[in-house]
Amino acid sequence: MQELINQYFDVGFMVDHFDQVLEGFWLTVQLSIVAGILSLIWGLILAQLRQLPGKGFLPIRFATIAYIDVFRGIPLLIMILLISGSIPSLEFLPEWLRIPQWFGKPDNFWFGVFAITITYGAYMAEVYRSGIEAVPGGQMEAARSLGMNHRQAMRNVILPQAVRKVFAPLLNDFIALMKDTTLVSAIALSEVALAGRDLQSQFLNSSGLVLGAIMFLVVTLPLARFVDKLIAREQGRFTRGAPRVEAL
Amino acid sequence: MEIGSMAPASSAILQLRNIHKRFGQLEVLRGVDLEVKQGEVVCVLGPSGSGKSTLLRCVNLLEPPEQGEIFLEGKDICRGPESGTGEQSWELNFVRQRVGIVFQQFNLFPHKTAMENVTMAPEKVLGKPAAEAQAKAAQLLERVGLADKLNEYPERLSGGQQQRVAIARALAMGPHVMLFDEVTSALDPELVKEVLDVMRELADEGMTMLVVTHELGFAREVGDKVVFMDEGVIVEQGNPADVLDSPRQERTKKFLGLVLER
Repeated sequence: MQELINQYFDVGFMVDHFDQVLEGFWLTVQLSIVAGILSLIWGLILAQLRQLPGKGFLPIRFATIAYIDVFRGIPLLIMILLISGSIPSLEFLPEWLRIPQWFGKPDNFWFGVFAITITYGAYMAEVYRSGIEAVPGGQMEAARSLGMNHRQAMRNVILPQAVRKVFAPLLNDFIALMKDTTLVSAIALSEVALAGRDLQSQFLNSSGLVLGAIMFLVVTLPLARFVDKLIAREQGRFTRGAPRVEAL
Repeated sequence: MEIGSMAPASSAILQLRNIHKRFGQLEVLRGVDLEVKQGEVVCVLGPSGSGKSTLLRCVNLLEPPEQGEIFLEGKDICRGPESGTGEQSWELNFVRQRVGIVFQQFNLFPHKTAMENVTMAPEKVLGKPAAEAQAKAAQLLERVGLADKLNEYPERLSGGQQQRVAIARALAMGPHVMLFDEVTSALDPELVKEVLDVMRELADEGMTMLVVTHELGFAREVGDKVVFMDEGVIVEQGNPADVLDSPRQERTKKFLGLVLER
């Protein structure tokens, strides 16, 4: 029993190495926020490209669907390895892109951001799409009949309603994204998982990793509760409101 | 702006010729001809599935017809080179700046207040300054009897109030022709009158109106012309008293009999 506690829950060990783990977790948080925001934006762009009307935009719609299908199907770890291991060798790229050091962050931080954004952008595009499709067709018709073009109708009428509908699922994706940032440890970014792993192999003690896991829970548990609340509120709103009959 | 081919001399503000529209295998409109004169109120009656709503939606190109011609103020709005959507943008702008539509299901923007519902298109499409759009919107909402509901969201309004906001929203674009697509069908019976009253006032002020409705009383009292449709064609048309009281066609008689039996 004591051995188990020493291995996983050695409080003295956690206190001694708290700063080191927290430093890693802080990097995790930064990675999550930067990649999270970029994924939200990229996903929204993809979702809109997918909804462009008419025959003329068929190639763009097709390319967008292909992108979404492909990058949802590739493991994030492979994307991380692929990007970090290839971009620095592409001589035709400018130095600032081959070895990005923006905002004082190392290149593996940015390669992680790229990989996560490419993958999670595809996930989030699908979430946005479900929101766009959940807006009744009469909304687009009303907007178009008032003289708005597709773009104006999307921006002023459809997207504000769609984003409200999918706020909770987007937040769920963000929680998943945050956990997946630990995969960037594979390319030696000393975020929280790698910090814990270093301690583990140095001292043969897993308490550092457990401490990292606890830090995750401190953030993800309240977020998950918040998502539940949002979903409950959305459902409450739906049942309270008058039923909307769709025109034939 | 390009000039389409001109309609022959006529006082009609809106002219439909041989309009055909199909959805897949189903031919919903099978050659419709119709004229609406300036300031005229034309009421379209008919059983469900007869193509009434589709006809309205053809007029403002929400469902562009596959065949036939539509002249709006003498301009052919259905021709022109095919674009990706089968809709030509200058025709769309021309039509939608002149034709307003009110839907059965209101289709108000639920995330906007009554006022914002009315100001959105004038601001975003016509580029009117916010203050001007708001002043106009307040005036229109007062006209439909909602001066005290300017800042309410649609979900806090009754069906009749929502429909009146929808009318104000369409009027805000300064239409020359108003289309009404069964606008009282989704309303509780006690709310129908307040909407019909607004439409009656609008007709009295000289608005040109094409009204798809099941309200025979309204058609009789306000309509200048009644059109009866069935199975995608116009079966009978004429002045309201003639069509409603002494219909010549069997199908019209049968339909009116069923409606009056209620």
